[in-house]
Amino acid sequence: MTRPQIAVGLVLLALGCQKPVKPGDPLPELSRAERDRFDRGKVVFDSVFTPETGLGPLFNATGCGECHEDPAGGRGDEVEVHATAFHAPVCDPLAQEGGPVIQQHSTPALKQALGIDAEPFPPSATARAMRTSPVVFGRGLLDLVPDSVLLAYADPGDRNHDGVKGRPNRFADGRIGRFGRKAFVPTLREFNAGAFAAEMSVTSPEQPTEEDIGGKPIPAGVDPAADPEITQAQLDFADDFVRFLAPPTPLKLGQDGRHGRDLFSQLGCASCHIPTLRTGYSPVPALANREFAAYTDLLLHDMGPDLADICLGLATPADFRTEPLLDLRGAEHFLHDGRATTLEQAIELHGGEGSAARDRFKTLSAADRAALVGFLKSL
Amino acid sequence: MRPDIRMAALTAILLVPLVTSAPAHWRALESAQPAASYTFQGTVHAVNTRTGALELVTGVGMSLRIVRMTTAPTTRLIAAGTAPRLADLKPGDVVRAECRRTTAGLVADRVEKLAVSTP
Repeated sequence: MTRPQIAVGLVLLALGCQKPVKPGDPLPELSRAERDRFDRGKVVFDSVFTPETGLGPLFNATGCGECHEDPAGGRGDEVEVHATAFHAPVCDPLAQEGGPVIQQHSTPALKQALGIDAEPFPPSATARAMRTSPVVFGRGLLDLVPDSVLLAYADPGDRNHDGVKGRPNRFADGRIGRFGRKAFVPTLREFNAGAFAAEMSVTSPEQPTEEDIGGKPIPAGVDPAADPEITQAQLDFADDFVRFLAPPTPLKLGQDGRHGRDLFSQLGCASCHIPTLRTGYSPVPALANREFAAYTDLLLHDMGPDLADICLGLATPADFRTEPLLDLRGAEHFLHDGRATTLEQAIELHGGEGSAARDRFKTLSAADRAALVGFLKSL
Repeated sequence: MRPDIRMAALTAILLVPLVTSAPAHWRALESAQPAASYTFQGTVHAVNTRTGALELVTGVGMSLRIVRMTTAPTTRLIAAGTAPRLADLKPGDVVRAECRRTTAGLVADRVEKLAVSTP
């Protein structure tokens, strides 16, 4: 055996021995400095805020880790409330009444001042939505898929007549969105900074103002911490922690699993749940130009009237972003509001543009259904 | 130091804190702006043609805020090369507004309606 052959053999051996990435692990190829930022970000992510350190006066959680838990970055069992008003074709996110995220808890000081346990539900709302906490694994990769890739998958006029359309949502300022169940938020950075403010009412240099209480000013004396309530460095570390969370390695497929994967494509599931996407440029080599298992197109699709709830941006009540299928094996509830307790239920609840694939799934034999579900549980 | 140079320096010293203490999203597009001017890009939430008031939805992620400003007779309104009236702006339109802070609040100097395309 020649030296080059030995070298190639060692590389292949190393790749073959690479430890599978578990939920909550960082990307495997981070530099030492990036790994340090991941670790420091996890400390911020796991922090528990109090009114004295910035929590509230309205909030859904006392820290990121309260909802994205087990392990850090994973899903939790919390369900939160969103509200908007849809006056077709315009969607009002009800920012003037505290929307779209309606906080479900108040600090003792706010309760004493106003006698409320939660943010008042906006009187102008036309719909209420329940939202489970998603896993945030692999979000740094999703952040780096170029807009041009998303636009190439969009087919709002259904030119190929497959019944699947797909269109991008847009943020308030017109940029293409991709994060959140309605694909409203353009970047992971903004999603993370916004979450500190919307979920914990912790202000940062990037969102330095507290939200009103249902459109009314915060009573004097109930928000003791000075704004911004976290520093730029804390926000940067927390952002890096989420950005560097790796998507868990899918389990190895057996014969049935491979058959299920084939069925996933044959039924048309893969028309929206695009199996792999590729990132563009990033200064972080572990994120740059990577092909990864995404199972999403990050576009909006009409999912039918039974799933419809709120509008957001250009998303109508029935429009939802294709959910990335990451860490399904750890999930106990499915769909945006957790109404499905099994993967079969979740598939059967697909409507609108998902109807045809759903109907094909319903015609499968029990063995084929089990194979498809088995494949999904490998993710 | 010449009086005019001294005056310019003093003005700069006084205006710098106004800009650096502004919320981050107020400063998002500030680089090409003179001191104490702010640029907001957001969705029109409400227009009052009688008072000249304009409300935009802006924000960071899912944390949204309403920015309130007024327009004046001198405010330039622009849309794809045309000069619309304030009444032509409607909720849902995406605009970029260049404002300055006054004792009466934000006053828009220029409001441009943006063409946001969908594929």
